[in-house]
Amino acid sequence: MATLLSDVINAFEQIILEVVDVKANSFKLVEGGSPWAQDLFPLSVNQQAFIISDDVPFLNDFLIDAKLLWNKPDNARLRSGIWTEVTYNKKELHLEAIAIKQNQRRLLVVSNQAEEYCMRQDTLQSARELLLFYDNVLEQNEYLHTRLLDILKTPKEQDNILNTLTQAVEKAGFAVLIANNDFVTVIANSAAEYLFEQSNPLPNDINKPLDIIIKLLKNQLPEYERIISTKSTWEGELCWMSPPSTLKWLKVSLNPVTNEFNQVKNWIIFANDISNVKHLAQRNEQLALQDMLTELPNRLSFWQMLEKKVSSQEPFYLLYVDINNFRQHNEFYGHDEGDKLLVEFAGRIKRAVKESDFIARIGGDEFGIILTHVDNQQHCKKIVNRIFDGTLKPFVTGKSESFSITASVGAANFPHDASNAEELMKFVDLSTYNGKQNNKNSLQFYTESIKDASHQVIEMEHELKLAIENNEFELFLQPIINLAHKKVIKAEALIRWHHPKKGIINPGEFIPIAEKSELIITIGKWVIAYACQLVKKLLSKGHQIKVSINLSPLQVLDQSLFSYIHACVTKNNIDPQYLELEVTEGVLVDDYSQAEKLLSRARAIGMSVAVDDFGTGYSSLVYLKKLPLDFIKIDASFVQDIISNDNDKAIVKAVIAMAHNLNLGVTAEGVETQEQLNFLAKNSCDAIQGFLFSEAVNLEAFMQLLNQGNLGASWDFCK
Amino acid sequence: MIQKKICLLGASSVGKTSLVKQFVEGIFDAKYLTTIGVKIDKKVITFENEQIQLMLWDIEGNDRYHVFQEKYLRGCSGYIVVVDQTRTSSLLEGIEIHSQARKVTQCPAILAINKSDLHAKWHWHDNELKTYHDLFEHEFITSAKTGENVETMFLKLTELLIKE
Repeated sequence: MATLLSDVINAFEQIILEVVDVKANSFKLVEGGSPWAQDLFPLSVNQQAFIISDDVPFLNDFLIDAKLLWNKPDNARLRSGIWTEVTYNKKELHLEAIAIKQNQRRLLVVSNQAEEYCMRQDTLQSARELLLFYDNVLEQNEYLHTRLLDILKTPKEQDNILNTLTQAVEKAGFAVLIANNDFVTVIANSAAEYLFEQSNPLPNDINKPLDIIIKLLKNQLPEYERIISTKSTWEGELCWMSPPSTLKWLKVSLNPVTNEFNQVKNWIIFANDISNVKHLAQRNEQLALQDMLTELPNRLSFWQMLEKKVSSQEPFYLLYVDINNFRQHNEFYGHDEGDKLLVEFAGRIKRAVKESDFIARIGGDEFGIILTHVDNQQHCKKIVNRIFDGTLKPFVTGKSESFSITASVGAANFPHDASNAEELMKFVDLSTYNGKQNNKNSLQFYTESIKDASHQVIEMEHELKLAIENNEFELFLQPIINLAHKKVIKAEALIRWHHPKKGIINPGEFIPIAEKSELIITIGKWVIAYACQLVKKLLSKGHQIKVSINLSPLQVLDQSLFSYIHACVTKNNIDPQYLELEVTEGVLVDDYSQAEKLLSRARAIGMSVAVDDFGTGYSSLVYLKKLPLDFIKIDASFVQDIISNDNDKAIVKAVIAMAHNLNLGVTAEGVETQEQLNFLAKNSCDAIQGFLFSEAVNLEAFMQLLNQGNLGASWDFCK
Repeated sequence: MIQKKICLLGASSVGKTSLVKQFVEGIFDAKYLTTIGVKIDKKVITFENEQIQLMLWDIEGNDRYHVFQEKYLRGCSGYIVVVDQTRTSSLLEGIEIHSQARKVTQCPAILAINKSDLHAKWHWHDNELKTYHDLFEHEFITSAKTGENVETMFLKLTELLIKE
């Protein structure tokens, strides 16, 4: 029996040592014995005690942990991890040690891991070469993308632009194409010509690089139409087959360049030949079908599964999960943190669904999920809510900053909504996009009306562009009254759209669309410029009134915003103290660092800052204390029931007290009744705004109001 | 003889093993072979007439397949964070590793900006780089291929360790 055991141990290339004197690091060899063991421990002969000295430093270090284990009363085991030892005779051994406490015996097993080492090295070698390649491609693509955007967005003479662009793209080691809005090539670098060169093209073959890419996109990407019509960025892999001899895998990215009216001026297209990498990945089948970052199945694997499910004819729900504002997150915290977020979120999704469901990473920040055994929307909703729960729990960066995310989910049912994989994907993609709400979790099931709604949005977007061009916007002013002085001290600037056919349109109807299409940046700039003009007009008539401007989340992220505001102030020659910036709580929390930078700079030149809609979002005292603020605006929803609802009463009182503690002023919004006004005044609210005094009115009416001094409320209660 | 443990840390594929090989054996192998686990090399050097044995712990690079393990820093006298000047991400990873290492040891740390024989591809502003430089006792621009600054860097670290 003992011989058999010894043979097995030798076959496993292991030796077993037993502790003789734990303090002295003294051991004796009790089982096993191979030439490598002799090289490692030349003194370990005939069961004589020998000392593991500093000559084997890794093992020596491991013994510190091993001793702790051996001193414990219970049975236990501890592995050292693999290490490479260069022996006295210059041999390299790949070893692992296991410290064991078993029935009061203190053992140390050392095993030769040569085979395991080679296997792991082989796999990790491929995986790391892939990582390196992708890292490289990503860095180069990103750098060039930023440079090209800089060039394309900076006004230059046409000849000059072409020269600068040609120089910038020519050095790139991958294909770069710049096209106009109609996908006509403006510039293609030599690498693009080289990549798409065909040795024996057939007479009818498409041969221009851009035409080839567009054809591949149309054939291989169900989201293609949506991406183009919504001016979205796309990045992914395409397979280019052109018989008889061409088969290439391409990593392609499509990036729109828009003008101030959010119209596409150009498309920047990058294509990298990743055929070698694909080959490398295919050496390991798992790598070919797996997303390397999240270790979930990849897009290719997802399509295979989707086709399989469709052909099985069993009903299922398809979900498309998209992380909102992932791009901003990546830019703000860095790509490493972005990667960490994806891995963590993938894990949370996994925990939210059943093991039999299929999850894959199908794009940068997009996940596809096939829910089997789910046959109704209610059930599907329940699962999606579990996914949403996973977004609420904070994510933590390497620097211990915590943040939460939101996701947009589109859902479609097979076979009810579509009968083939491609249509199903198209519909679920459209649903996700349609339901998307900034900074909110949203679930949108596919319906026929989504198609129509998406057309309506496109139409509204088009009209908004015209509205900017035709100057159809106007700023109305709603007075803000200081309760101590009983007079108008401020006004909130609120945009109105004079639609040529539909009449006046309120911002609630068009701002969400403008925010989605990034037209908000242009509209926001118009608001700032116009507000500065209003201040100037008011001052010229002797009214020293501050005008408050709302900033959208996207504007806060716009790095050029402060210089724009500054330029408008200078141009109108007004004192910045007559301007106030209003941001919502969501902006402060989600884009804290960016908001802090912008608001500090604004305050430095004398502008004031207010937090709008306070209480409706994620209220955090930490942010209030840290951010450069002057005022809090209590949301109208709290003021509305302030007389009848004890909770709202308590909240409003607490907010006022807390704000005063932080030296912040408080404005209550939506004040409509004398009772509300009385309550707010009695509880030391500083200012109020609402229909009780006036709705938002145009400049002329606002000036009349100031001149009349009639604010339509009883001030008797004011001390 | 005095013994000093030096750890080489950094993202995968930045050239930690090559730096050790260049320093210990004076050779460079262009073929990239990823390190698994830990490999320890020894080299005896003479510093101010005293012989010092350096134990060079070449630790598997950190990436999504291998996370940083601070246990390897136990008993370490100094460490070198190696970054690759052709990969921006390796600098960020190196800084992250450094900050994790700083949680367990305050021993001297050197930043090695490796692969100086290749064209630098990162696009950092001098100010940003300077912020990172200040985190380390010293910084060397090295090439395991040509040997540029390799010996100088290890000798400088030894000097710091002895003076500690």
